[in-house]
Amino acid sequence: MGINWTGLVSACSAFFGIWLGHVAVRFFEARLTDIRPAMAVCIALGLGLWAGALFAPVAPLSAALGILGVTFLWDAFEFYRQERRVRIGHAPANPRNPRHARILAECPAATPLDLLDRDPVGRPVTSEEAVRLVSDDRTKGRVSL
Amino acid sequence: MNFFGISLGIVTLLIIGLGFAWVIRGERYFGYLWWPYVLGLGLVLIVASLFLSNDWASGVVGALGASFVWGATELKEQAVRAELGWFPFRKQKIHPPGAAVIRKWRAPHL
Repeated sequence: MGINWTGLVSACSAFFGIWLGHVAVRFFEARLTDIRPAMAVCIALGLGLWAGALFAPVAPLSAALGILGVTFLWDAFEFYRQERRVRIGHAPANPRNPRHARILAECPAATPLDLLDRDPVGRPVTSEEAVRLVSDDRTKGRVSL
Repeated sequence: MNFFGISLGIVTLLIIGLGFAWVIRGERYFGYLWWPYVLGLGLVLIVASLFLSNDWASGVVGALGASFVWGATELKEQAVRAELGWFPFRKQKIHPPGAAVIRKWRAPHL
C-alpha cells in the first residue's frame, strides 16, 4: 500500500495556516493605524493561492494552495474581528497605536491587558480578579507560548 | 482546471468552523484537561490519512486531524474565556483519566 501525502499536506497547511494567520493578524492589527490595506493584501494572497490551486498538477499541491488560500481569505475577515475583540476587551489594545488609543478612549470595556494570558482557576472570576490574576502571572514571570 | 484544492479549502474552513463549536461545548462539559487526548486523536487522524488511497478521504481526514490539534491548543484559553463570563461557565466537569497529572503540565496555546 502506497503512502498518500495529500492528508499530511492538508493537515500541515491547515494547522500552520491557522497558526501563522492567528499570530500575524494579532501582531499587525495591534500595530497598523489602518487595517484595510492588510485586509486587501490577505484577499489578494488568498485569491492568488486559489488561482495556483486551479492549475496545480498534483493533488497534494492543489490541497496546500487551496487550504492556505482559504486561511488568507479568512485572515482578512479576522482583522475586522480582532479589532472588534479589542473594542470589547477580549483582546489587548496597544496604547502606542493611535487607532487603539482612540478605541481605549471611546470604549469602556477596552483594556491594554491580555485577560486570557493566564492558567484557568476553575471558577468564575470578577473583572477585578481577572486583572489581578493576569498581573500575578506576569509577576511570576510566566510567558505565553 | 483542478478544483480539488479550492473545494478542499472550503471543506477545511467548515471543519475549522465546527472546531469552534466543539471546543466551546467540549470545554464546558469536559474541561480543558482533555487537551492531551484531543492532541493525540488529531495526530492519529493525520497519520491515518497517510494510508487512505483516495485523495478526498486523505485530505479531509488530514484537515480533521489538524483541527483537533488546533482545538487542543484552544481548550485552555476557552476555559479562561468561560471563567471571565464571555461564555457560559459550568462548574461540574467530566475530567479525563490522569487529570491530576495533566494539571501539572503546561497546556499549549497558539
